[in-house]
Amino acid sequence: MRIRTVALLLILFGMFGVLSLTYAQNAPEASEKGKQVYENSCAHCHGTEGRGDGSAAENLLPKPRDFTRGLYKIRSTGTGELPTDQDLFDIITEGMPGSSMPPWDTALSANDRWEVVAYIKTFYDGFKEAETPPKQINLSGKVPYSEQSVETGKALYTELGCVECHGNIGRGDGTSAPDLTDEWGFQSWPANLTQGWNFRGGADTEDIFKRFVGGLAGSAMPAFEGDSFPGFGLTAEESSRMIELDNKDEMTEAEEEESAQLYEKYDAAVDIALNLAEGTELSAEEKQIYDDAMKVVYEKSWHLANYVKSLMPEKRPEPAIGNNVLRSQYIHGELPEMDNAAWETLEARYFPLVGQIVIEPRQFNPTIDAVNVKSYYNDTEVAFLFVWDDRTHTTDETDEETGKTLEDALAVQFPAKVPQGPTAPKPYFLWGGRLPVYLWHWKASAPEQVTELTAKGVNNAEVQEAQGELKAQATYTEGQYKLWVKRALKTEDKKDLQLDPGVFVPIAFSAWDGANGDVDTKRVMTSWYTFVLEPVPSSKRFIYPPVIALLSVGFLFGLRAFVQRRNSEE
Amino acid sequence: MKSYLLATLTVLLACCYIGTVFAADSDAGEMEMLVFPEAYKAMKVGNGGTISGVVKFEGDVPEKKALEITKDKQVCGADEKFDESLVVGEGNALKNTIVYLIDISTGKDFDKDAKVEIDQKGCKFTPHVQIVPVGERLTMLNSDKIMHNVHIFSKINKSVNKAQPKARRKMPLKAVKKAEGPVEVKCDVHGWMSAWISYVPHPYFAVTNEKGEFTLEDVPAGEYKLGYWHEACGTNSKAPVAVTVEAGGTITQNFTLKLK
Repeated sequence: MRIRTVALLLILFGMFGVLSLTYAQNAPEASEKGKQVYENSCAHCHGTEGRGDGSAAENLLPKPRDFTRGLYKIRSTGTGELPTDQDLFDIITEGMPGSSMPPWDTALSANDRWEVVAYIKTFYDGFKEAETPPKQINLSGKVPYSEQSVETGKALYTELGCVECHGNIGRGDGTSAPDLTDEWGFQSWPANLTQGWNFRGGADTEDIFKRFVGGLAGSAMPAFEGDSFPGFGLTAEESSRMIELDNKDEMTEAEEEESAQLYEKYDAAVDIALNLAEGTELSAEEKQIYDDAMKVVYEKSWHLANYVKSLMPEKRPEPAIGNNVLRSQYIHGELPEMDNAAWETLEARYFPLVGQIVIEPRQFNPTIDAVNVKSYYNDTEVAFLFVWDDRTHTTDETDEETGKTLEDALAVQFPAKVPQGPTAPKPYFLWGGRLPVYLWHWKASAPEQVTELTAKGVNNAEVQEAQGELKAQATYTEGQYKLWVKRALKTEDKKDLQLDPGVFVPIAFSAWDGANGDVDTKRVMTSWYTFVLEPVPSSKRFIYPPVIALLSVGFLFGLRAFVQRRNSEE
Repeated sequence: MKSYLLATLTVLLACCYIGTVFAADSDAGEMEMLVFPEAYKAMKVGNGGTISGVVKFEGDVPEKKALEITKDKQVCGADEKFDESLVVGEGNALKNTIVYLIDISTGKDFDKDAKVEIDQKGCKFTPHVQIVPVGERLTMLNSDKIMHNVHIFSKINKSVNKAQPKARRKMPLKAVKKAEGPVEVKCDVHGWMSAWISYVPHPYFAVTNEKGEFTLEDVPAGEYKLGYWHEACGTNSKAPVAVTVEAGGTITQNFTLKLK
């Protein structure tokens, strides 16, 4: 199955190659066809006049692009430049992960996509007025990935202020994160750099480099182009010396002169860069100064891109199904506490979360990607470690519209009774229905407490009378929650789920990000997954195989003896 | 045949008229903008006149709104900061009002020595309102030694969003080609920071000081429309004041503005 899909994809990509070649770099003239395709496929979100105000736009965040301003986030071009036709074509083809923009590679023919590119450009006059093609970012100086490059990039990440929005280790939890808006005034969360699969324009090192150098036009992400770098026009050593001198409380006369000289060189290079940007022709000498300066900052930018690349796993983890089912591991004696190193030896299982869109209020714009789970059990108890990224730590905020209290939370859901057999019906995935579910509800405002609920529907949940059977610990650091929960396998409470090794138990999750307006049914969640207390391999495995081996050998000897005897009789 | 043509023409004209009326109505935002002459020619002005005056605020002065400093408190929170969208001084003097000539087409050139700068100091833009000549570079200073980003929300020119890392003390920005204003300047890192700039094609723009005063000098003799813009009080673009400037003369034109 997988091979067939890959083959199909290869063929498709091959076709794109051929088709894009035939169109060279430029989309055709805008035509009636493009308008028609646009109105059928794009206008619902982007609006018939391209203002990003289609009928579906209200519920979406990130908002559909407003094409009338010529601001495009995902470009191969520098800051302040328009995208190339190919950029627009690629975005339509590949979609934008982490947003509502789907890939159109199968729904629209390449021909139609080119027609749409041409049509979209008519919404902004700048495309027509542009006298020269947009300047593309030069990717030729790529610095290969290496430990050392990552180290250099890491220092730059702090020095250039990336931490302000993206946080110390890139989880999008910087101190400015909650207040960011785009140019249309809509909330705009900084990327969680550890989740490359949600990057709108892809997470290849080249993609990261282009976003960093060119910025994401219209969003809060600025461009770190050329002369943004302190010490533009200086060598790496000179610029660190300049910064070093800047940070001195007092300078000697010689140092002052040195600083002045560095600044003179720096200012001259900035002037050249601006002249170029304003359209002034550069002399050969100036061109040389500019190229040398750009080489230095681009090298730094590649280091930074390599560092960002190092923050994310190579690919999105596989969801916890099939071979990746959550298996609680048996250990002898006490179960490990939350910060015990024993947890490090387990591989987490990945449960992707999606917005709840069945019941009002809905969540169309989830901010929590997934919950990662590990588990141990012993003869009497089971412990879970739940880990999820959330950019903000919200314990008590009031929703302006509804007056409700917003806070971060997690709910773990099991059926109240384990279904007998794999085909037996499970309760409704959204907090049960006719068949009840048993829930653990944790809230950030009471981190050491987990409440047990029984629910027969999302608006029909009851706090169980008997509480206190669960132990919990939780932390929030660097944009990540860790929640540790421990419970007895068997309890006295008849409303609780009872656990036995080897039995596959349905499990599901709901999570709330208070800062994203999550409350009640406005949340992110999973459907049913499965978990099992991995049965302890029986000690009989040490007895049976040798016995069988012995018996086999004996049988063979017997057979040999029998055959020999029969032969000798003949 | 002729009557057909006439009828069609009438209908077409009517459509055009209705079209323009609707277009003007639908674009109420236009009224918040400054109005620029279609063309401007700089020349030497001898014996020009002066227009000066005071802008005052009328109405209950709202209580000053303290800004919530959410980060970098050592640098940004050294003193209490207030929202600067309405700064009313002694005697109801209204600061940060742009007063300008709407319809001047020839006059003096820009003062080439004037510094076009905005400083980022204590996580506040100073000045709050700045005039930037078209074709000149606005220089952003960073006295804070922390990271800022300069985000200029242009719509006619390309919007700008450029990082100004902590070690970047002075950052000139690319000059723009088209007149536009006012345009908000923000820092996304410190969401409360806000300033307004206007890219202007001629030098007859003034921003009122703490005393609400403004002066436009070297105005060639003639009749002009005098306009104003204030962040919280709006514009008089619909009904600008007519003034007559005499050679070497000085005229006084005061304004009293209310919240829009």
